[in-house]
Amino acid sequence: MNPFRKQNHYELLEISPGASPMEIRRAYKNAFELYKDESIVSYSFFTPEERKEIIAGLEDAYLTLINPESRAEYDRTLIASGAVEEEAPYYHKTRDPISIYDLRKTHADMIGPRRRTEDLKHVVSHNKLIQEIMSQDSLTGADLCKIRKELGISLEKIAEETNIRISMLRAIEGDDFDSFPPMVYLKGFLKSYARYLQVDEHVIIDGYIKRVGKQHS
Amino acid sequence: MAHIWPIGGGKGGTGKSFLTGNLGILLAKNGYRTLLVDIDFGTANLHTVLGIPHPETSISDFINKKVGTLEETVVTTAIPNLYFISSALNSLDITNIVHEQKMRLLRSITKLPYEYILLDLGAGTSFNTIDFFMISNSGILVTTAEPTSIENIYRLIRSVYIRRIRQELKVHNFRVLAEEAKTRDSRATEQNPEILLYIIKEIDPERGRVVEQSLRGFEFKLVLNQLRKQDDPNIGALICKIIERHLGLKIHFIGNISFDDHVHSSICKKMPFLHIYPYTQTASDIRRCYENMVSLKETQLCIHGVAE
Repeated sequence: MNPFRKQNHYELLEISPGASPMEIRRAYKNAFELYKDESIVSYSFFTPEERKEIIAGLEDAYLTLINPESRAEYDRTLIASGAVEEEAPYYHKTRDPISIYDLRKTHADMIGPRRRTEDLKHVVSHNKLIQEIMSQDSLTGADLCKIRKELGISLEKIAEETNIRISMLRAIEGDDFDSFPPMVYLKGFLKSYARYLQVDEHVIIDGYIKRVGKQHS
Repeated sequence: MAHIWPIGGGKGGTGKSFLTGNLGILLAKNGYRTLLVDIDFGTANLHTVLGIPHPETSISDFINKKVGTLEETVVTTAIPNLYFISSALNSLDITNIVHEQKMRLLRSITKLPYEYILLDLGAGTSFNTIDFFMISNSGILVTTAEPTSIENIYRLIRSVYIRRIRQELKVHNFRVLAEEAKTRDSRATEQNPEILLYIIKEIDPERGRVVEQSLRGFEFKLVLNQLRKQDDPNIGALICKIIERHLGLKIHFIGNISFDDHVHSSICKKMPFLHIYPYTQTASDIRRCYENMVSLKETQLCIHGVAE
């Protein structure tokens, strides 16, 4: 090892030439704790002049390395003198944060909700039967059931995804007016139901409520 | 050949005798034939820590040539495998043993037929203490977490350092080189042995290398004793770091031993601590230190400078 007073900035702070700014900061803090005036460990080991010299050296090392520009320049002199390998310095292997674009890309690769909704929308807009039902003035439970079956989705699946009790869903599809909840809730349930099937929620709610309203109230 | 562990540390009251006694007990219990020698001629305590208030013979019998061999001053203890050479009955002028007597004693110690020989050294950094500390390369230093004790550790280490430089460069060479070093760099005095050596290496690379090689042979051990709850437990490791970094000497941190008032009561009762308080934190700290020390690879016993 080089004698202490001849060490380069990295050796002085006991870090590798590839150290990150965070490591540099931590190393400086630890070294300062050890060499500062009040340190119990280095007490009496150094004369006041030696201590001053060491602290000044640490500060110089820290300030040089923590600034990317002065660090790059310092690294160049080290590389020129052969003290450090060219690949070693930190900025050659800088890790950038992962960009948001990358996150989106990985999501698209997965079979997820996004894929499902697009497929459903496609089926809904191209299925003749569904379009026919949707264009009716009012809708019955049986109509909703037909749409659902056309899309190949089970009641259990809807119950699971929307957290609506399956008995409630059966009541809606079976026009079982006696089991209906208050109107506000019924509208909410219809909305979730329609959204899950990717059909127009306003058409469903309006068409269904129009008929229910007459008998339910 | 015996493993010789000199236990020193500059300041008095840091627990050298306490550690020597209890390490000896652990070595003996683990089946090693162990000898404890009280080298603290003037202010001997080890017999009290071991619970032998009135040993029959003492090391002064050998120094004053009352007996022919050092072996004859050994007393047995209540613990199987544990033997002891006391300084309790030393005559009052023994503190100032002359060089020749010291050399005879050093030579005799290295020849004793034991597996482990522990030397309990006195406080201070006199040549006597230093020479016994340097009887082997693996001296044990005991310090507390107080600046008074730590500064004495550094003082002792530097004394050992400069003593080894002097031994390696014969008297004449040393004077010539030291004078020249001083003219090159005013800081290169005996107070700063590391700078002195650095300049000597520049002046005379060959001799410098020999000295450096010899200094590298040391493998000290450091024990941090009486660690209070409010103390920083890393102090010991940092002391070792600063010594290795600035003096280039190898030193292993062995461990912390917690402060415990029971130590005081065991000494007042004149009974070995490990025997009456085996289930305290301090006792388990001592056992852990013992294991760390035994597992460290022993360097070859070195009786450097003793033979001349």
